[in-house]
Amino acid sequence: MNFGKTQQGETLSLGMRNLYILPTRFGLLWLAGMALLQVVAIQLESNGPLLLSFLMLGLFLLTLHLTHFNLQGLEVRCGQPAAGFAGDTLAYPLRLRCRGRCEGLRLRLGPGEPDQARSLAAGDHLLTLPWNPAERGRMRPGKLRLLTTAPLGLFVCWSRWDPPMPQLVIPAPRSGPVGRAQAPELKQQGARSGSRGSSGGDLWHDLQPHRPEDGAGRLAWKLLAQGRGAHAKRFLAPMAEAPLLTPAEGIPLERALEHLCAAILRLHGEGASYGLQLGSTSIPPGHGPDHRDRCLETLALAPRTL
Amino acid sequence: MIHQPPSNAGGARRRREPAETQPSSPQARRLQWLAEALLIVGLVGLQPALLLSWVAIGLTVLAGLKLLEAKRLEERRLVGLLQLVSAGVLGAFQADLGPSLLQGLAVFLALAGLLALEAGQGPDWRLLLRRSLQVVAAALPVALALFLLMPRLAPFTPISDLGRGVARIGLNEGLAPGSIASLAANQEPAARVSFEGGEPPAAADRYWRVLVHDRFDGTTWHTSPTQRRNGDGSGAAPAGTPSPQAQQLWVAEASGLEAVPWDGAARPLGRELRINGRGELLHGGRSSQRRLYGLGTSPATGTGWRRIGPRPLDLFLPPGTNPQLEALGRSWREAGPAEARLAVAERWFRAGPFRYTRTPGTLPLRAPLDAFLFERQEGFCGHYASAFAALMRAAGLPARVVSGYQGGTWVQPLSGPGYLDLRQDNAHAWTEVWIDSRGWQRVDPTTWIAASRGGGVRATPTGGPLGWLERQWWALDLAWGRWWLGFDREGQEALLQRLLGERRNLVGAVVLAAVGASLGGSVTVLGWLRNRPEGDAPRRELERALAALARDGLVPEAGETLADFSARLGRSEPALAALLEAMAEPYQQWRYGPGPRPAEEARRLGARLHRQRGALERELRRQPPRRPTT
Repeated sequence: MNFGKTQQGETLSLGMRNLYILPTRFGLLWLAGMALLQVVAIQLESNGPLLLSFLMLGLFLLTLHLTHFNLQGLEVRCGQPAAGFAGDTLAYPLRLRCRGRCEGLRLRLGPGEPDQARSLAAGDHLLTLPWNPAERGRMRPGKLRLLTTAPLGLFVCWSRWDPPMPQLVIPAPRSGPVGRAQAPELKQQGARSGSRGSSGGDLWHDLQPHRPEDGAGRLAWKLLAQGRGAHAKRFLAPMAEAPLLTPAEGIPLERALEHLCAAILRLHGEGASYGLQLGSTSIPPGHGPDHRDRCLETLALAPRTL
Repeated sequence: MIHQPPSNAGGARRRREPAETQPSSPQARRLQWLAEALLIVGLVGLQPALLLSWVAIGLTVLAGLKLLEAKRLEERRLVGLLQLVSAGVLGAFQADLGPSLLQGLAVFLALAGLLALEAGQGPDWRLLLRRSLQVVAAALPVALALFLLMPRLAPFTPISDLGRGVARIGLNEGLAPGSIASLAANQEPAARVSFEGGEPPAAADRYWRVLVHDRFDGTTWHTSPTQRRNGDGSGAAPAGTPSPQAQQLWVAEASGLEAVPWDGAARPLGRELRINGRGELLHGGRSSQRRLYGLGTSPATGTGWRRIGPRPLDLFLPPGTNPQLEALGRSWREAGPAEARLAVAERWFRAGPFRYTRTPGTLPLRAPLDAFLFERQEGFCGHYASAFAALMRAAGLPARVVSGYQGGTWVQPLSGPGYLDLRQDNAHAWTEVWIDSRGWQRVDPTTWIAASRGGGVRATPTGGPLGWLERQWWALDLAWGRWWLGFDREGQEALLQRLLGERRNLVGAVVLAAVGASLGGSVTVLGWLRNRPEGDAPRRELERALAALARDGLVPEAGETLADFSARLGRSEPALAALLEAMAEPYQQWRYGPGPRPAEEARRLGARLHRQRGALERELRRQPPRRPTT
């Protein structure tokens, strides 16, 4: 069932005013089965089918209330959604507070069939629901449908809610050309380091066992002299020329952003420094997860035209 | 802001609870298979000759096939419904205690399967079972209210024709003893009767008549087509008299005959019973099924049939079929009045070298009774009764053969009233002779034979411990039948009469009120069970205190500990925070402190927290109401 007023607000509190309930097709079939048993009971003057058909009627009347009970008193609010990539299936967190046991709860963000039924005990629960964002930016996942047919599947009780918390959607990473601009301060830095000549030994950041093809230039002589074995230095290679990434020329902006995203992830993976220049927004070079997240957020929220 | 590293964002379908990733409830499938198995067991006792049996068989098989192939939720639901309906249809055919228990269990399992289907992967077996019991128990009051009070409709079409033509072991409409070589011992149950007054009639009077054979063709005694002289024989069969007043409660097994056993004297109770002019008790229910009926013993008004005079048919003997017999009978005509002819015949039988045997061999097709009376001179009750009746006709006295049961075993179960157990072994045939002054008179020539019947009254019940168990079970079964089958339209009528008396027009309102009240009660109880705080007494008190705070909009954040919450509360509501802390601290010491937690301590702490919760709630009431915030 997918109609009825969509609820708004930070919190969804389910009660009499925002729950809808109707018999399912199975519920109508159940009544038909009950009628059949009534006919059998009357025609054959038999107590067994008569009692069973009344039991089915009793269950029908009872589950009307029990199905409603499942959602009544349920409170739903948004969790803090983590960022994700466009084109991926994202996890949208929801906090549920059940007053009593909540049986056969099925949830769905956006269109499509609700997921598997689950039963929640009284108390707080954190659930994540999958959804597929259409585009980048701060996106809201669309209508949340909550429905249950428990305990017997005779009635479906549902409600709809528009979760207000947006989720950050980053352009999907796609490898391709990116533009590079030299960061002004890095140029100076590079000049300085250049003037320091061969003392660049300070810029290596890691050691690995020395292989013959590494050559003598990368051998950590000092360690060798101390008798700690032959190690090769690993340098932060482009440190000297940390790029300021820009959208490549001649490519549609959205595609260029996807290339930038891939480049950022690659550079971050290599441990390199990089900056980002996007229209009027400029992020100076840096590295580390926080820097990466800042760059990706900038990509996600970039204006449609620069 | 970005909690999840983007390099990891591909694995977005992360769930907190691992159980949720399982595909569907395995319990539902097992429960539905179990219900299916019970239904298949229930099919075993069905009568294949009945069309409606095939409906039950078809529904059960359909449910099984559907269960085999069902993948989707909707299909699995349908399986549950099919199982319920087929259990119901089975219940219409097999209403005995055993099958009823089986059907009840199948219904419960089918419902539990549906519940498991809807609940998803969550609940464990215990929870599922408890929930199923709760739901079924909650729906039962409504069902019982409707079952007891809802006025019942009469059948749409007459039902007695549905079960015709089903041959059963036992009595037959045609009696041809000459064609039977030997009587097999047959321990199958025929009927059971309990007596309200307690004691059964004396052993010599235990003749239970079923069929009257009045048409003789020289070899076979037939039952002539029923004379529809309704009411002639029954005296006044009071229609609509409730069966609960029955003084003899009979349970007759399926026989394929419309006629059911009775003592020939009692007054039939109930609309479906009728005595015909021959003194057969006819039951309007289905003869392919067990029938339950009541007879009143005082005043004995069911004897009117004895006074219904003979017809020419009752004197007819096909001339020349048994010439020797005819000659002997004719010779007795000179003896004088009816009683004198009877006496001569008795003397003749007693004087002859007759012997009772269950294995007499077959008699020739030509003049079989001559062969029996003058050559073989051995046979069982059927031989004696038919030969004697033919002799009496030859002697000019209207006579006929009656078949039914004689004797029976008195069973006194561990609890409940005793009953007389009639088996097919107790089948017997005797003769009725018309004597003008007394009407139809029972004469049992078999009793004249030396070393009388081997069958008949068995002195002691047989069968060892298994037989004993069987008789105990039948006592339960009889009690069940009295209660379950006995509550028919008349029974309900009597109940409504007792409840409402003159105000029968209120029955609709009474039904609605009863259904409303039972539904309201069930919903209230289930709602309370759902919202009932779980855990021990201290935990409950704490939960209630938090619930009281929540009503004023003071709710812990998700993941906030109790200590953090009361600290946060302390900033805006110091008085409340102090009261909450006074509850939280001893609770946490008790809950998380070292050592065992004896029940006594829990009770004491519970009482203490109860008082503190009262203080907290008073404080909440004292303060100006807050607007609930979320």
